[in-house]
Amino acid sequence: MKKQFVLTLFLLVALGCCHAQINPAEVVVKPNHTKHFSVGLLGGIDRNYHIVDMSYMVDYKFDKYAPGSTYGLQLGYTPVKWLSLRMDVAMVQKNYNRTHKPSIINIDFYDSVTNQYINIPLVAMLNVGNVVRLHLFGGGYVGYWLQSHHKGLTEGVFGYPTFDEDVDFSTTESQTRDNRLDMGLTYGAGLSCMLFHSLELGAEVRWYYGLQDIQKPYMTNLNPRYNTTFVIQGGISYWM
Amino acid sequence: MRKIIILLLVVFTLVSCRKESTVSDFPNPNHRIAKSFLQQFETVWHGMDQGYVFWGADTVDWDARYEQFQPIFAEFDSRPANHPVSEYEYQAAYAGLFEGLLDHHLMGMFYSPKGRFAAYVNPGQNDYMHTTSARAELEKEIDHLKKRKDLIKFIGYEGDDYGEVTIPGTYFALIKGKKSGELIAYFRFTNFYLNDIATYHSAIPNGVSAQAALKAFYGPRYWEGINSQASYANNDSVVGIIMDLRGNGGGNTGDLSPYIASLSQGTNLVGYTRVKDGFGRLDYAPWAEYNIYAPSARIKTEKPIVVLADINSVSCAELATMLIKNLPNGTFIGERTYGAIGALQPNSEYMHDIFFSGCMGDQDFMKYGAEIYRYKDIFAYYIYTSTFHMVDKDHNPVEGVGVQPDYEIRYNRSRLFDDGKDIQLENAIYYIKNGRILSTAGSN
Repeated sequence: MKKQFVLTLFLLVALGCCHAQINPAEVVVKPNHTKHFSVGLLGGIDRNYHIVDMSYMVDYKFDKYAPGSTYGLQLGYTPVKWLSLRMDVAMVQKNYNRTHKPSIINIDFYDSVTNQYINIPLVAMLNVGNVVRLHLFGGGYVGYWLQSHHKGLTEGVFGYPTFDEDVDFSTTESQTRDNRLDMGLTYGAGLSCMLFHSLELGAEVRWYYGLQDIQKPYMTNLNPRYNTTFVIQGGISYWM
Repeated sequence: MRKIIILLLVVFTLVSCRKESTVSDFPNPNHRIAKSFLQQFETVWHGMDQGYVFWGADTVDWDARYEQFQPIFAEFDSRPANHPVSEYEYQAAYAGLFEGLLDHHLMGMFYSPKGRFAAYVNPGQNDYMHTTSARAELEKEIDHLKKRKDLIKFIGYEGDDYGEVTIPGTYFALIKGKKSGELIAYFRFTNFYLNDIATYHSAIPNGVSAQAALKAFYGPRYWEGINSQASYANNDSVVGIIMDLRGNGGGNTGDLSPYIASLSQGTNLVGYTRVKDGFGRLDYAPWAEYNIYAPSARIKTEKPIVVLADINSVSCAELATMLIKNLPNGTFIGERTYGAIGALQPNSEYMHDIFFSGCMGDQDFMKYGAEIYRYKDIFAYYIYTSTFHMVDKDHNPVEGVGVQPDYEIRYNRSRLFDDGKDIQLENAIYYIKNGRILSTAGSN
């Protein structure tokens, strides 16, 4: 499914680029371009790597990564051909899955966590090319942890109950523990090409490298937890 | 190009801004061998820091305790031979470290090498405690029961403690009801090790008669056939049931279904529990329903059931009290219970290593008991603490708070010991007969 998505994404960009090659007269972004601003939509899939040291809690294991999705808006400003600024407003899932298989009881506890963040990355893009453009970009992002949902199997006094519930961020405990502010670096590379007169089709890979612990510093020996999210996304934007 | 290099340098600098984890600096407290006062303190402090299940509700500033007591234990290690650490200092240091912690099950035992001296802490002691022992009260209360003029039948087995196995005291009585021919069934258990008797039956000394052991195992209710076709409780002549859990020190939650939930008609939600799932003090798995299920052999009755409990009703006895109080026909008369309701996994040497919380300490303690420390040249310790954090069915706290009675009738020492009157039982009987208590003072 994921491979199909990525292939489709790049196929679309490639087809768009072929179209642009066939109709070079329609390409708007030329060395002496006249349009500076663009606005568009983007969407894609992600893999979140939840970084936490479980030390001697050897039976607790986090999956290497957990899949998720992303979508949002993109705003671009291109003062000169080789340099752009881009800001997105993106909904990004930063999920993780944890299993707990105690060696002495034959039960597989698990916790599948879906986290919804809003991220606002601002990047500088180096653009190479004319009709088909390669972009290298880097910058920072700020974000906010909007929602968290847990689903799994836990230990009860009698038996092993399941759970399927949202985290209530309004509780005192959550407000003490959960750092909902997200911040970090973002960087990546992309490929785009112009379609018709003012439409640009693009695909990119991007990393969100969180520099904010998802927990507040509420205790001295806090075990830090970070998210690193790898995104593959496509977008279409309109030049104004 | 220079700009790009500068940009990359900035990026790499920021990338290195993630904080390093230090949890690996502190090994599993269940397997660490301490060789000094300070190592023992560090092991205990970090073990509690990472594995104590009540940090979400506890108000003790554990980081401040580290700052306060770490220098004290470090100083212990620096003492010259002619000025050794005294047992008093050792006890005072650990008592201060644990003072005010919420877990009412919590007991900590700490030993210097070769058991030269030890410290013991039990921070959950309540301000309100009886001035007499639960055992003395039990004897007086049973004495009062046996002397009642309205007593029709009495069967009692005092129970005993054989170290490996504790046989509960079990009592059954039939008391006259309000009208002629009406009966009130009375049951009392001094702990909930009823099912354990079956498991450890072979450990019961030969001197104990099989009948006594069986009576204890099945409980007087089973003994009298209360849950069978000929049940007293199902008998129309029984108009009410009193379950007396005063002084009941708790036991195995496995007893709750057959002996208490059998008074109910199905699933009994008594509250919610959760376990730790990480090193952070507030790393918890979600709350899980704590249901106690009625067995297939249950008493089909809508007759009033009164549970009697007091400040000496602990752990399982408190869960049983909650269960009966929650029943539509259940009423709790007496005084608040002790408040040690966070369930424990058994003291197996392995249990801590399942959830990395709850009881922890030197494995030999669990295998051989405290005597082993006479021979070991280590600073050993053992902490008995809850595995589960529990709240009631309305998510109200229960640890350290206890179960609150519907009608508060406080223990009255002079009435019991001087006058021979058990006013809590009097009120329970009166409530079943009249639907209200004798004394309105202190009712909730």
